[in-house]
Amino acid sequence: MTNDWLRIDGLAKSFDGVKALAGFSCSLREGEILGLLGPNGAGKTTLFNVISGFLAPESGNVVLRGVNLTGKPPHRIATAGIARTFQDLRLIRQLSVLDNVLLSFRDQPGERLGNVFFRGKSSQDQEAANRNEATSLLEECGLAEKANDPAEDLSYGQQKLLSLVCCLAAKADLLLLDEPVAGIAPEMIEKMLGIIRDLPNQGKSVMLIEHDLDAVMQVCDRVVFMDAGVKVSEGTPEEVRNDPKVIEAYIA
Amino acid sequence: MFSQLLVNALIAASIYLVVAAGISLAYSVTRFFHFAHAAVIACGAYSVFVLHVWVGLPLSISALIAAPLGGAVGLALELLIYRPLRRKAAGPLVLLLASIGAYVVLQNVMSLAFGDASRSIRPTSVQEGLPFLGARITCVQLISIAVALALLIILLTAFVRTRWGKMARAVMSDPELASVSGINVDGVILWVSFVASMLAATGGILQSLDVDMTPTMGMTALLAGVVAAVVGGIGRLPGVVLGAIFLALAQHLSTWIISTQWQDAIAFAILLAFLIFRPEGFMGKKVRETTV
Amino acid sequence: MEYLLHILILIGIYVILASSLNLIAGYAGLLSIAHAAFFGVGAYVAVLMGLHWETPFLVNLAAAVVFCGILGGVVGAPGLRIRDDYFVIATFAFQVIAFSVLNNWVSLTGGPMGLPGIPQPVIFGWTVSSHWEFLVLTGGCCAAVLWICHKIVTSPFGRMLKAIREDEVFAQAAGKNVAACKVLVFAIGAAMAAVAGVMYAHYISFIDPTSFTVMESIFIISIVIIGGAGSMWGPVLGAVVLVALPEVLRFVGLPSAVAANVRQILYGGALVAMMMWRPQGLLGEYAFRKGEAQQ
Repeated sequence: MTNDWLRIDGLAKSFDGVKALAGFSCSLREGEILGLLGPNGAGKTTLFNVISGFLAPESGNVVLRGVNLTGKPPHRIATAGIARTFQDLRLIRQLSVLDNVLLSFRDQPGERLGNVFFRGKSSQDQEAANRNEATSLLEECGLAEKANDPAEDLSYGQQKLLSLVCCLAAKADLLLLDEPVAGIAPEMIEKMLGIIRDLPNQGKSVMLIEHDLDAVMQVCDRVVFMDAGVKVSEGTPEEVRNDPKVIEAYIA
Repeated sequence: MFSQLLVNALIAASIYLVVAAGISLAYSVTRFFHFAHAAVIACGAYSVFVLHVWVGLPLSISALIAAPLGGAVGLALELLIYRPLRRKAAGPLVLLLASIGAYVVLQNVMSLAFGDASRSIRPTSVQEGLPFLGARITCVQLISIAVALALLIILLTAFVRTRWGKMARAVMSDPELASVSGINVDGVILWVSFVASMLAATGGILQSLDVDMTPTMGMTALLAGVVAAVVGGIGRLPGVVLGAIFLALAQHLSTWIISTQWQDAIAFAILLAFLIFRPEGFMGKKVRETTV
Repeated sequence: MEYLLHILILIGIYVILASSLNLIAGYAGLLSIAHAAFFGVGAYVAVLMGLHWETPFLVNLAAAVVFCGILGGVVGAPGLRIRDDYFVIATFAFQVIAFSVLNNWVSLTGGPMGLPGIPQPVIFGWTVSSHWEFLVLTGGCCAAVLWICHKIVTSPFGRMLKAIREDEVFAQAAGKNVAACKVLVFAIGAAMAAVAGVMYAHYISFIDPTSFTVMESIFIISIVIIGGAGSMWGPVLGAVVLVALPEVLRFVGLPSAVAANVRQILYGGALVAMMMWRPQGLLGEYAFRKGEAQQ
């Protein structure tokens, strides 16, 4: 188990006595796309919030490449190579599409105040490079002509696409995607799934929460089904779909 | 000496209590700090001044008219400023800023009308004060303590017993749920504003019976009220009693060690300490963690 | 002529105050009612050093800036644990405490009597004495502060500030150290307010605590909000309008005793009106609406 690229060990978290995570464990190999399935309230988003540092677990560990990330603040975890999207779609709606992507680059020299005044040249060069990269990312995803519009002017599907682009700009090795294709048009789903399916080729790993079973079947290498804060079933998408425990949990 | 300090603290606590109850009530229903309360406090005092000194009504009747007048000012602010802003989905900071603006306007209107110098409604003859546990307490001070206690009891009873009180509590705990279950949230906010402002005005009247009034008197009183409300736990009336007594004791007993002009600073040091280390106060519910 | 210069100098001082508060409130979204406290502390630090130790003006200025910067950091840091309107109340508390210290620590600050006889600043042999010279000095400081603000808000650091203002959770998820950023910007704003304080003290050549009250803080925040929070030129416009306003009232013929009140009524009313109809101010882009999008 220690060779696992990402190891999640016995995480527990409760809210007002209700256990959202009750000793949840799972692991992820490098370049793997893992789907997280489960009924509402199973603890999937709580798991993401714990991994990304927004919630401190009561017990358990999150270890990425042998580095224990448990209890670190969100910005540390984000710079350690984990990027995430949010179920309720967080973007800086008032800033332009391009600015949202630019914000997502990690460790920018221009974000350190001293560099703004004393090492202007190098941080400006980095900024220009980021700008080029952001523009080409937006071009690849077909958002280039919207680059200077405020993010709030995008359609819902485009906003979801933009938050995925932000994760790409983060150059993170692990992407936590919380319902990336829920509630968007079929063409957009195709586009998103295409991008997600390609992520392992860039050496990235993905954890994906999604209720759209077809989407999960299409992109995930492996699926974990969770209920009431614990892992109920694990395996290939087919195996999990046919697992009687899973069927039972869904009926219940 | 010590018992005199305790008596002084008790008198201060009764005034803080009335003001803080209003602030706490208003905040827990409207979810923003009603800064203009400071102006309402002074409005109460100046209304008594006008009615008693200029019109010539007896003091008690002037006070009975002045308190609802203060409430009416609160009502007007709610109807003219806060409600339209809420309709535009304004956040608590926007409401707070508007409230600050309203305070500035009202305070300066009073300055123009009455001048910045202090005005008095105190009886001209110096009262000796009744002996009380080795200290002296004047009639007026006794009345102010009695009024504060009576108001508190009425308020608590009204909160627990009456339909209005139950509706107000529903709005306090969850405005959306209350609205869905058929409670007229705007209506509740309106009458709570009236009651809260009436309390503020009463606080101002009580204070002006003890010391003189100036147009800016409300600021200090508001500050004390905010401290007592936060220390007690916003939205918890029993907590507010505790907060008012705690603040008054801290301010008055500390005069043993340092001089009285540091009272404001002490009040605010207490407030800062509570905001930083225990923002829910003595009795309030834990402030929610950042929701993701 | 001197009268016009006097107004221009005051406008310069308020541009510094408003622009620095704009960094804190308009860009980082931290609504603070403590700016007059830093304005005052900066003034007192420089003046006391000059009076007691007779240190050169520039040393006093630097000391005031550093002192207020550190004080701003110290005040801002615990304030991070407090959100939105509670933060406003906390800064308010600090403002009252600061005023109380200036007013009551008589042996150091002279208390309500203030500190008279502040010497004219001497900068490398140049004695700043006439109105013209003060205008040059204030204008220079003003330009420097505006340049620094401009550099900050157009840099990636400024973009990060806006992100924090709009959505802290997003900013954290994007790897930004939100807490450090807020403390830093609060400290910078406080340090800049000290510059304004030093200018003001030396120009008037007398300070007392009544220049640094809660009402002064409210006046500064009104400048920022009426001019437009979160824009470079909003606070500048706000400072010009609100500082020149009482002078206009004087031309209209209002007696000066009344004019002070009327001026406050006008800006208080303007604050309410802005919140009602134009919460982003005349030129601004931030309307203190943080929170709704998140809920």
